[in-house]
Amino acid sequence: MNAAQTFRLAFNFSLREMRGGLSGFLIFLACIALGVAAIGGVNSVARAITTGVASEGQVLLGGDIRFELVHRQASDEERAFMASFGDVAESAGMRSMARLPDGSDQTLVEVKAVGDRYPLFGALETTPPLDNGALFAESDGVFGAAAPPLLFDRLGLETGDRLKLGNATFELRAVIDSEPDLVSDGFGFAPRLMVSLDGIAASGLMQRGSLVEIAYKLRLPAGSSEADIARIAERARAEFPEAGWSIRSRANAAPALSSNIERFSQFLTLVGLTALVVGGVGVANAVRAYLDGKRSVIASLKSLGASGGFVFALYLVQILMIAMIGIAVGLVLAAAMPFLAGAALSSVLPVPSEAAIYWDALAVAALFGFLVTLAFALLPLGRARAVPATALFREAGFESSGLPAPLYVAAALAIVGLLAMLAIWFSDDRRIATIFVGATIASFIVLRLVGHLVQWLARRSPRLRSTALRLAVGNIHRPGALTPSVVLALGLGLTLLVTLALIDGNLRNQITGNLPERAPNFFFVDIQNAEVDAFADLVGKESGGGHLMKVPMLRGRIMELNGVDVQKVEVPPEGRWVLRGDRGVTYSETVPENASLAAGEWWSADYAGEPLVSFAAEEGGELGLAIGDTITVNVLGRNITARIANFRAVEWESLSINFVMVFSPNTFAGAPHSWLATLTATDATADDEARILNAVTRAFPAVTTVRVKDALEIVNRLVAQLATAIRAAAAVALIASVLVLSGALAAGNRARIHDAVVLKTLGATRGTLMTAFSLEYGLIGLATAVFALAAGSVAAWYVVAQIMALPVTFMPEIAVTTILLALVLTIGFGLVGTWRVLGHKAAPVLRNL
Amino acid sequence: MTKTVIELRQVSLTLGHGASRVHVLKGIDLDISAGEATGIVGPSGSGKSTLLMVIAGLESVDAGTVRIAGEALNGRSEDDIAAFRGRNIGIVFQSFHLIPNMTALENVAVPLELAGHADPFGVAAAELAAVGLKDRVTHYPGELSGGEQQRVAIARALAPEPKILIADEPTGNLDQATGRQIADLLFAKAQERAMTLLLVTHDPALAGRCARQVAMRSGRVEPAPAAQAVSA
Repeated sequence: MNAAQTFRLAFNFSLREMRGGLSGFLIFLACIALGVAAIGGVNSVARAITTGVASEGQVLLGGDIRFELVHRQASDEERAFMASFGDVAESAGMRSMARLPDGSDQTLVEVKAVGDRYPLFGALETTPPLDNGALFAESDGVFGAAAPPLLFDRLGLETGDRLKLGNATFELRAVIDSEPDLVSDGFGFAPRLMVSLDGIAASGLMQRGSLVEIAYKLRLPAGSSEADIARIAERARAEFPEAGWSIRSRANAAPALSSNIERFSQFLTLVGLTALVVGGVGVANAVRAYLDGKRSVIASLKSLGASGGFVFALYLVQILMIAMIGIAVGLVLAAAMPFLAGAALSSVLPVPSEAAIYWDALAVAALFGFLVTLAFALLPLGRARAVPATALFREAGFESSGLPAPLYVAAALAIVGLLAMLAIWFSDDRRIATIFVGATIASFIVLRLVGHLVQWLARRSPRLRSTALRLAVGNIHRPGALTPSVVLALGLGLTLLVTLALIDGNLRNQITGNLPERAPNFFFVDIQNAEVDAFADLVGKESGGGHLMKVPMLRGRIMELNGVDVQKVEVPPEGRWVLRGDRGVTYSETVPENASLAAGEWWSADYAGEPLVSFAAEEGGELGLAIGDTITVNVLGRNITARIANFRAVEWESLSINFVMVFSPNTFAGAPHSWLATLTATDATADDEARILNAVTRAFPAVTTVRVKDALEIVNRLVAQLATAIRAAAAVALIASVLVLSGALAAGNRARIHDAVVLKTLGATRGTLMTAFSLEYGLIGLATAVFALAAGSVAAWYVVAQIMALPVTFMPEIAVTTILLALVLTIGFGLVGTWRVLGHKAAPVLRNL
Repeated sequence: MTKTVIELRQVSLTLGHGASRVHVLKGIDLDISAGEATGIVGPSGSGKSTLLMVIAGLESVDAGTVRIAGEALNGRSEDDIAAFRGRNIGIVFQSFHLIPNMTALENVAVPLELAGHADPFGVAAAELAAVGLKDRVTHYPGELSGGEQQRVAIARALAPEPKILIADEPTGNLDQATGRQIADLLFAKAQERAMTLLLVTHDPALAGRCARQVAMRSGRVEPAPAAQAVSA
């Protein structure tokens, strides 16, 4: 028989064999369906969001193409260039302080000043619905403004009330219900305050050097293609090389959001893959149990002339057919998720999601499901192939244990390798993916060893006086014991849960505990050169001895590294943020506070040669920079090339003023700029902070004040939202663990009926057996929890201390929760089944012995 | 001169590992002629079933030669022997070993399908009719009585027209009356098709129906006359 005939016959035989139903495969099906649904669902939802962003690109960007400048408005030539392609809508964005006219209260706002043509695409929806003229026009020296409900709440205002921004007064004429291009302006720390360009001009906040972003959004003639947009961007860069503008097309309306969603979904995919791998243990258990039950069929077939290859093909076909059912169920669930998640996500994300079936996302999930099945089914299948026909004559002594032929072990390892490679390949951040996959494989191996270690310890334990304990310890190490399956299945899920809980807990501890203690109380932005001394005097007086640190600050974009356009430079993902968008830059005569020289030498105070720059050591390393390299930065519409004189070790986590680039003072001689300051007043109470904030805003209305505790609160809320999503994903892994656990315990219970009946006939009471089983499950659960705690702590330490560079604290509540969870799961699930075992009548079982 | 269809020379076999090693067969010499009905008898643990397994090619020997239907089995691969068995040897077990999720017809067709037969179900139906189960073709093993299951097993063993029919305690799981019917069927079919019948049994009556008896004790073929060994 050739291979095709063998498979055709195997297929026919499989259909006959599967008439018995899928009852032994429910855990198998659930594990595969769950893993596939998790991976496919996460990716489908991510695709729904990114597709939504792409298809609504014009509305979200506010135009077909958007030119953005920092600190300055476009020159006449630049305006003429943009206007030659279509309609131009100008807007300005900045953070500033909105205060009540009587100065009694104030709050940080994200100001957006728009022109008459705003918005070019989509609609600004307000209550009451007003056009731009009615919303923003000046009337008796008072300009109009609109804001979302949050600002009204924060300052206790109603429609028609007034507030001040810089030197101008604004009347809140409407509540903003929906701002079409909100997402393209980046992450907002504070509520929006929308005014007109005339209004912001009157406020006096837009001074040269102020931290203001001016955006020019273009509506191109209908039918303009992406290629047309790319050509315009290319021409803009070529004709205005010194403009320093950031150019975005409608296809890339919210790059930061899209890339964050992609990264997050890739992380969740890895978590989903862990769930699938945990489920793989369930697959292996189910396949082994199924094939154990088929030993006499296999032996019969062999005695009737079937080859080992045929037996393998027969059961491979069956396992794959069952896996296909699980995968199909998973895919149906995954395909439904974008439709179900759309409504839930709309309250969290300010972007539309396009519910559809994303075949490629589903294909990836199906591929993972298929490979996991194969990886975990191959060893039991290989063992089945080796079942001798003599098993028919000698029923005992053919336990399916040990490793099958080397070919099957090699094939299973190759598939595991392929799975790992695919998981890494599908991930944008290959380093993190590699660590994750490596950690999962290591956990798997270590958990197997832990299982064996627990059994070894049980075997070598001294003879115990307690009957129940002696039975429990015996059950842990006897052949066919539950120990390896339970440790492996529960261990992987618990380890992942502990890792994520510890990372989340440490991160929150930092945000709500440690960071606020070390961080400054306030950041002050846009302090004008002329008022910096008066500002320092005022803050010194109000804070009563707080430490004020102030540095000059400009915004700049890195354009070239060693003369090479940064868009053409290959940079690892962790270093990309340095080249993305604008960075704050400063100059200094001396090494700044919170930093130390890591390599090279600092310039002298009176240095007057070619511009020099000090680069943050870690980021410089990521960009592959060395001392003597050149960096071209565009500041205020001028390209400045500076040579790297030294590297600094920067403590970013201190939340103090830190810059990637510090230039020699002569670099920006004469350039207009403002100052950035921090105030650290360790003993300041909330009332003190409120008083300082009010005094600064009254005296310096143009200075933007950010209270660090408020900012951290926002970050804390964000982390909480992310943590919810991560916990949900981890829960999927834990559910897979519990499924496998319950499957393993159920299988164990079948074998246990025999023991229980024999022990009962020999005089064991139900209580003794219950205690013995509880102790057995408890001891296995405890051993697993201890491992999960240890492995999870190491993994969390690596992520928190090594990747995030934050201090790590052990969290006893997580340890206690983990141990309790493990005990509840093992003892709970174990005893549910055991109760039925103990209820078995002895006679029917004994008759079959 | 009758042709020798089973030829064993100095066959030895040890099973198990370490302390549990047992020398099951010890230098067995055995010749069985084509068409001969032979009963293998002896106490439990004497090596009867192991001898059957060696003859069926299910167990490879440590020493000695095994020639079945003119072909040496020594040194051949497991798959090669499986195919050889499919063509030449039919086996009937004490516990029937039918495949539970296949109908009687499908069970009988299995060896034919494995051998790539052109009409496996036609032949299977004829074999079932020949053992008196014409009305039971679509029944699953669980829906058949013990005697009926053993008839299906006999039909399955006969379907590929093997040269040798091996039966391991074929009546051991059946009541006396049914056992007798099954034995009648076995002997009738073997004779009808001129097959060599080799059966292991503890039942003196069944052994007595064989033309020749081979007595085994402690892994050796007893030199004593077979009839005495059985009646002992």
